[in-house]
Amino acid sequence: MEVDDTDGGETSLRSKITSPGESLTSSQAFMRGHGTYVEDDEVIASVAGTVERVNKLITVRPLQTRYNPEVGDLVVGRITEVAARRWKVDANSRQDAVLMLSSVNLPGGVQRRKLESDELQMRTFFEEGDLLVAEVQAFFADGAMSLHTRSLKYGKLRNGQLVTVPPILILRLKSHFYSLPCGVDLILGLNGYIWVSKHVKDNEQEGEEGFDAEAVYSNQNDEIDDATRAAVARVSNVIRVLAAHFVPLNDTVLVEAYEWVVEQEYTVKDLLLREDVADALVSAVATARPDL
Amino acid sequence: MLSKSEKSYIRTSLLSEPPLRADGRSLLDFRGVAVELGVTALANGSARVRIGGDAGSESGGGGVCGTEVLVAVKVEVEDVSGSVDGGKGRMACNVSCSPAAYPSLTMLQLDDFQSDLTSILDTTLGCSSLCPTNLSIIPRKKAWLLHVDALVLADDGNVYDALFLAAAAALHDTRIPRTRPIEYRPNNARSQASADASDDPMDGASGLDTHAMPKATDFELMDYWDEGEPLVCPNGMSWPICVTLNLVPPLFYLDATTVEEDATLTRLLLLYSFSTNSSNTRLQGMRLLGHGEVEANLIKPLIREGEKHAKHLNQSLFAKLKSELTKRIPQIVPSTKRNK
Repeated sequence: MEVDDTDGGETSLRSKITSPGESLTSSQAFMRGHGTYVEDDEVIASVAGTVERVNKLITVRPLQTRYNPEVGDLVVGRITEVAARRWKVDANSRQDAVLMLSSVNLPGGVQRRKLESDELQMRTFFEEGDLLVAEVQAFFADGAMSLHTRSLKYGKLRNGQLVTVPPILILRLKSHFYSLPCGVDLILGLNGYIWVSKHVKDNEQEGEEGFDAEAVYSNQNDEIDDATRAAVARVSNVIRVLAAHFVPLNDTVLVEAYEWVVEQEYTVKDLLLREDVADALVSAVATARPDL
Repeated sequence: MLSKSEKSYIRTSLLSEPPLRADGRSLLDFRGVAVELGVTALANGSARVRIGGDAGSESGGGGVCGTEVLVAVKVEVEDVSGSVDGGKGRMACNVSCSPAAYPSLTMLQLDDFQSDLTSILDTTLGCSSLCPTNLSIIPRKKAWLLHVDALVLADDGNVYDALFLAAAAALHDTRIPRTRPIEYRPNNARSQASADASDDPMDGASGLDTHAMPKATDFELMDYWDEGEPLVCPNGMSWPICVTLNLVPPLFYLDATTVEEDATLTRLLLLYSFSTNSSNTRLQGMRLLGHGEVEANLIKPLIREGEKHAKHLNQSLFAKLKSELTKRIPQIVPSTKRNK
């Protein structure tokens, strides 16, 4: 298919999915963007994805890709390494992210000076394997992202489980913290890591009254009742099913899907083990939200 | 790698009443298992097994890709005239792992893991009690050597069960080429006589006699409509099936995902083979993995429980293979249909 300037061409372009090596258009009239290369005066897709065009710039947005960070993004990550004055964090990006010791909240208040003793007890804050929610602060020269957790909303995660989806399915929204009505909190990391956990009431959130380092850096789960655990498992499976069918995720989709599952009285595992249930769920969500 | 709170969340969920797993399965539920036969054209038998992964999608879809193992069996002629065990043929197993399946492991760690997998597959399948009885080509001279090569394409937990399922399916799929022993006999007297009688050299007996004879020195491949005969497992036993019991005392669960495996201290691998016509069961192997400990008196009931699940797994695999293989009889293009 040739790309042309008419409106008809643009609409057909929008729905077009490329395969690597597919010729998109002539390079004389258009500029190549990400996901494309030029050969023999032709712009050719280098990845499988959807074609996008801004004026004369042709890009292909890949279907499966690593997370492309932007400053201000909310991400969920896992500590992979404790290094000198910094942690290395796996955030599903091309390189490990970096969390500097100076970018975390330390016990004793925000105004406190960083001490040498903090460097020696970095593992009491975060150790290998720990999950955290953070914000992308800046980029290093090599493109690695630097994170910070200098907010009471950010920090170590507990009381729940992690679900991984392709990052492209997480839309940029006003807030990425949700409380579902079923007593489950969700953190939709833009890197495709989704934290599903027990709901914590706002007034019980750690650090509300001053900063309670003990609670913020705790590894201990709260008491969680069976109903909440079941809800966490159900929400996780709903996310897995929707992700498997490439449904973009946000809170309304998830609430709708969750209510549909409860209404139809399916068990948690039906979603995972029965294809008919999964397909029905996806079509139910699609009919409820025709814009998706 | 999991955080402490994730580990404790998984363990508490498992030990709560009723037990709950991260994806809502009950303790003894398996994820969907897909078996596909005849996936590599150049091998004598091959199979691909996938446990879990996204339903219905070929390439993993948008979520996790599950555990995927590919096994190919290739036969090779081996000179066994010098061997001590009578030269009945043998199996050589090798397992390799795709680095993409274990992105967090270094090459050295990956090598270690590969040799772990190879050793358990090789010691179990290479056991003389499981050596197929029809590998001999010419007794005490030539025999088939079965190369069982496995490739772990993706690992989302329970790789041992997937490995043995794939190996069993591939061995079921394997066809040994039909052979006929031959002997070269220069029969001087008769050839001279026939040369006198007529000028046609094809007249009379040829130098190559292709009848079965006790002193055969070589063999030829028979041209036949199918690819050969299936492997015959001795005593009517099935190929070994592995069940991994993930122990969280006082209970255990099956088919752990990677995350659950990380949160489980001890795993008990049990390898069974079942007789196809009687209720005879053999325990082919057993491994205790991990750094936990197990009460000695727990082992016996675990072995009994494991047998039940292995039997169930074996029956489902057998039913699946049977339907796959009967589909392939009018064979022009090998049909490869995957099933959940």
